[in-house]
Amino acid sequence: MIKASLRGLLQRKLRLSLAVFAIVLSVAFLSGSLVLSDTLNARFTALFSTINQNVSVVVQAKDPQAVEPARLTDAQLRALSEVDGVKAFSPDVSAQGVIPFRGTDGEPVSADAALGFGVDGKDDPLGLVELREGRWPTAEGEVAITAHTAELAKVKRGDQLKVYLPVLNEPRSFTVVGVAGYSGGRDSLAGEVVVMFQQAFAQQTFYGATGLYGGASFAAEDGVSDDVLKQRIVEQLPDGFKALTGQESSEEQSAQVGVLFDVFKYILIGFAVVAGVVGVFLIFNTFNIIVAQRTRELALLRALGAGWGQVAGSVLLEALIVSLVGATVGLAAGIGVAAAGEAAITSEVALPSAGLVVAPLTVILAYLLGVVVTLVAAFVPAVRASSVPPVAAMRDVVRPDKSLTALSIVGAVFALPGIGLVLLGAFADLGGTAFLVLLGGAVLVFIGALLLSPLLARPIVRGLGALIGRGSAGNLGVRNAARNPRRTAVTAAAIIIGVTVIGMTATVVQSFKTSLEDIMGENIGVEVMIQASVTAAPDGRQGFNPKALEQVRAIPGVKEAAAWHFDALGVSVAGQPQAFGIFATDVGQAARMFPIDATDGTIRTLAAQELVLDDNIAETLKLKAGDRTPVAIGGVTRDYTVVGVYQATPIIQGILVGEAAVADFPGPLAFQGFVSLNDGVDAAPVVERIETIMKDYPGVQVGDRQSYVDQATASYDFLLIAVQILLLVALVIALLGILNTLVLSIVERTRELGLVRAVGLSRSGLVWMVTVESVLITVFGVLLGLALGVGLGAAFTKALMTLEFATVIAIPWLELGQYLLAAVVAGVLAAVIPARMAARLNVLDAISYE
Amino acid sequence: MTTAAPPLIRQRVETSAARASQVWKVYGTGEAQVVALRGVDVELERGRFTAIMGPSGSGKSTLMHCLAGLDSVSRGQVFVGDTEVTGLNDAGLTRLRREKIGFIFQQFNLLPTLTAQENILLPLAIAGRKPDQEWFRTVIDTVGLGDRLGHRPNQLSGGQQQRVACARALVSRPEVVFADEPTGNLDSRSGAEVLGFLRRSVTEYGQTIVMVTHDAVAASYADRVIFLADGQIVAELTGPTPERVLDTLKSLDRPAQLGTEL
Repeated sequence: MIKASLRGLLQRKLRLSLAVFAIVLSVAFLSGSLVLSDTLNARFTALFSTINQNVSVVVQAKDPQAVEPARLTDAQLRALSEVDGVKAFSPDVSAQGVIPFRGTDGEPVSADAALGFGVDGKDDPLGLVELREGRWPTAEGEVAITAHTAELAKVKRGDQLKVYLPVLNEPRSFTVVGVAGYSGGRDSLAGEVVVMFQQAFAQQTFYGATGLYGGASFAAEDGVSDDVLKQRIVEQLPDGFKALTGQESSEEQSAQVGVLFDVFKYILIGFAVVAGVVGVFLIFNTFNIIVAQRTRELALLRALGAGWGQVAGSVLLEALIVSLVGATVGLAAGIGVAAAGEAAITSEVALPSAGLVVAPLTVILAYLLGVVVTLVAAFVPAVRASSVPPVAAMRDVVRPDKSLTALSIVGAVFALPGIGLVLLGAFADLGGTAFLVLLGGAVLVFIGALLLSPLLARPIVRGLGALIGRGSAGNLGVRNAARNPRRTAVTAAAIIIGVTVIGMTATVVQSFKTSLEDIMGENIGVEVMIQASVTAAPDGRQGFNPKALEQVRAIPGVKEAAAWHFDALGVSVAGQPQAFGIFATDVGQAARMFPIDATDGTIRTLAAQELVLDDNIAETLKLKAGDRTPVAIGGVTRDYTVVGVYQATPIIQGILVGEAAVADFPGPLAFQGFVSLNDGVDAAPVVERIETIMKDYPGVQVGDRQSYVDQATASYDFLLIAVQILLLVALVIALLGILNTLVLSIVERTRELGLVRAVGLSRSGLVWMVTVESVLITVFGVLLGLALGVGLGAAFTKALMTLEFATVIAIPWLELGQYLLAAVVAGVLAAVIPARMAARLNVLDAISYE
Repeated sequence: MTTAAPPLIRQRVETSAARASQVWKVYGTGEAQVVALRGVDVELERGRFTAIMGPSGSGKSTLMHCLAGLDSVSRGQVFVGDTEVTGLNDAGLTRLRREKIGFIFQQFNLLPTLTAQENILLPLAIAGRKPDQEWFRTVIDTVGLGDRLGHRPNQLSGGQQQRVACARALVSRPEVVFADEPTGNLDSRSGAEVLGFLRRSVTEYGQTIVMVTHDAVAASYADRVIFLADGQIVAELTGPTPERVLDTLKSLDRPAQLGTEL
């Protein structure tokens, strides 16, 4: 029996290679995404271990993001350095958000404050930083810079360098007296920009006084372990500080930077999930068809006396061998793909090499997908095949379809409650829980729809066929696509999954954009927007100085200019933490620029300790006009009076306080500015002049109304692109799945093909027949996916509308049309190889094919 | 100006519906070479029912396949009507099948996705021709399928399926219908129905039919029986009866005589 199944393996090379192909492809996408993600992670970890190479213990403030983080004094530092076992130490004076301007055009070298560092320049006892030329700064007006910074800022030793300084919140000019690098000849560790100041100047500027340090790094004497030294240092540690070993510090830092990298990682994991789910369908379908086609052969074995178990066993053995080969090749291919991806990424971003990371989980998932799914996929039809009476199976070429009733009932059991939940989430006013309800409902609807898709396949395919399946060849293609609704549905599943996700995202994004545009276009008196790009939640320490607006107000044609401040960290109102923060601005002015309609009290310029809030928050906090409530900002709690409640809109919502409150904010900088113009004044020249004024603030962007909409929707566009890439992956896999199904169908229908050729169908007719079938499968998938996606997207948008985040449900017809077109192209492409195969068949051989 | 004339009007000086001239068919090369046909000359008259018989491996199926353009010949010429089949490319063969040839195979004659009626009309649909309603009704009535036209093949018995196949072969009024063991898979009663129907289509409507069979009773429905052995025509009967066919077959089974008879 084993011999028979092994021989069977080799005799069906075509089917076999398709099955292996399906497994390889799915496993490769899955493992490739995981390996790439892990490898990049490892590179980040490696980055920080090189930084902490010679560091045994790091001492740093427990909460570096605090408004007033803890600082080490000279005496405290000395005490720590005298701890037994310390060989060398390096105190830390540093700040983020130090951005140099290019010597050539005066533009900031980076808009990303997280990548700009200011430190004190001096010899590094721990041997990471090395002076390459010139000397360390010894006067206030001098700086040294890293070689990478020199390159970006296009300056050399002796040149002047303008540098934006946080805390001072303005740029200063310095003379470059030295250029430094890192051990091992590196110009930068990870593409960061570093400016090194005289120590006293750095302390004064960053910490407000000399003799203060943000922390320190310590190297242990030989024979003293990092942990032992850490214990000894902990005993001497001042309040507000923590000690970490070098390794712990690396892990913590890479975890922090990892947050930036997380978006990318989630995209990769999204890839892996899509590849995995779609792969399950691909493998399942392929094996299902292969085993189903062998029903007669299996029946013959049964007729010759093979037991039920022997037949199923032989199928499983075959599947096991195929899947082991497929999963192994797929894993190898995935590692190769990851290596290529890594090379592409690290050619853009300098990161130390850490080798390819193939985690055990990756290997387990790869084999789980490749082997287990394949075995299950093979087992189901094998059981079905072996339960057919041998004689019936041998005689009947065409087996009647298994009823779809049971499957459809299960599908309805999922879909109907799902639809209920979706409607509940969309229309009932459930506040934040609406999205959980919606998400749960969406998942149920989706599963239900996949289970119901075979039932839908026949009518939809026939309906579509009436449109495109003209002529007898086309008509035959339509019937082939409709003849096995399970196969059509499973083949289209990959597309349904991908298109549902994209359709949903596109609908939400489009609705959001249209809502914003509607509001911005209709009733906003703002022509120019100033927007700071910030790396952390804006708390007044990043952004632009509101004083700069004085210059803006002086520009001819400018009617009003308003600064908006924001803080979220540690903000609470009525004892409730406010994750969406608090805004400080001239509310009276805001009401002239934006539609702010009072539903209670009045909306006017606020004095100190007065606030207004939107109706949703007022309801949550149970506040009304005239109430007094405690408000905590920047660690200070004061009693505020509620002056008014206004109707939330997609652009203005939240808690607003007067400009006086900015004194309590962690920093004085504004993160948004709005400018209104006199009637008939052209915005473009004003934008240009404001840009010149804002040039000193790195990361501050100026634009007209449309650019504000674009900017506000930019992150959604990014999301849309990420999802579109996912769709592409799903589409590629789906394309190969369709190819697989068609090739197997052609093998299965060889005699039919011979027959239609014998009664006069031309080669091109045959090609058209196969193409129609392929296109119908893809279009069926896209239509179902779009219906699901747009429906769910509309439901999510409806819930967003309840929360005033959107005003309309907008369907992105153009995009939807493009997806449909892409599907048609994919369908045609998928048909190329199978159609050629079909056309090449010799008529006589095909008819006598067994 | 050219007009496409219906096939039956295009009767020229050509009196044979199909013709093979010095046809050789050789499979493989060298040691593995098998000669299936050795210089066969045969002419199949218009409006007659010809059966081709012979033992297994005699080349009877190969001859039919070559005549029908399903297989290429190694040497010689094949004509269907006034068209030379040998040398036609795929497009030419496709046109030939559309316009001049009907097929009935031993089994698997019908597309499972189409109803009986759709199967019958398939060649016309493929060729983009409108069915002649009167002729269609005549054919349907003759094969006696009137009430089964909406059924799919898997709802029909084997005999009914073959009758649908016959109707399909006849509905386009081809120059010649090639039938490859059309009753091979049927019980004798169903087989007799199908053969009776083929016979009537020759007698009443002047259809030309060429049938390969190994069944003497089936062959007796024909006007003429050609016997093949070892790739050559070795005998011929006109007005066959089952007994005469069997006698001839028996004589062919004695290999010693083969050489002397020729």
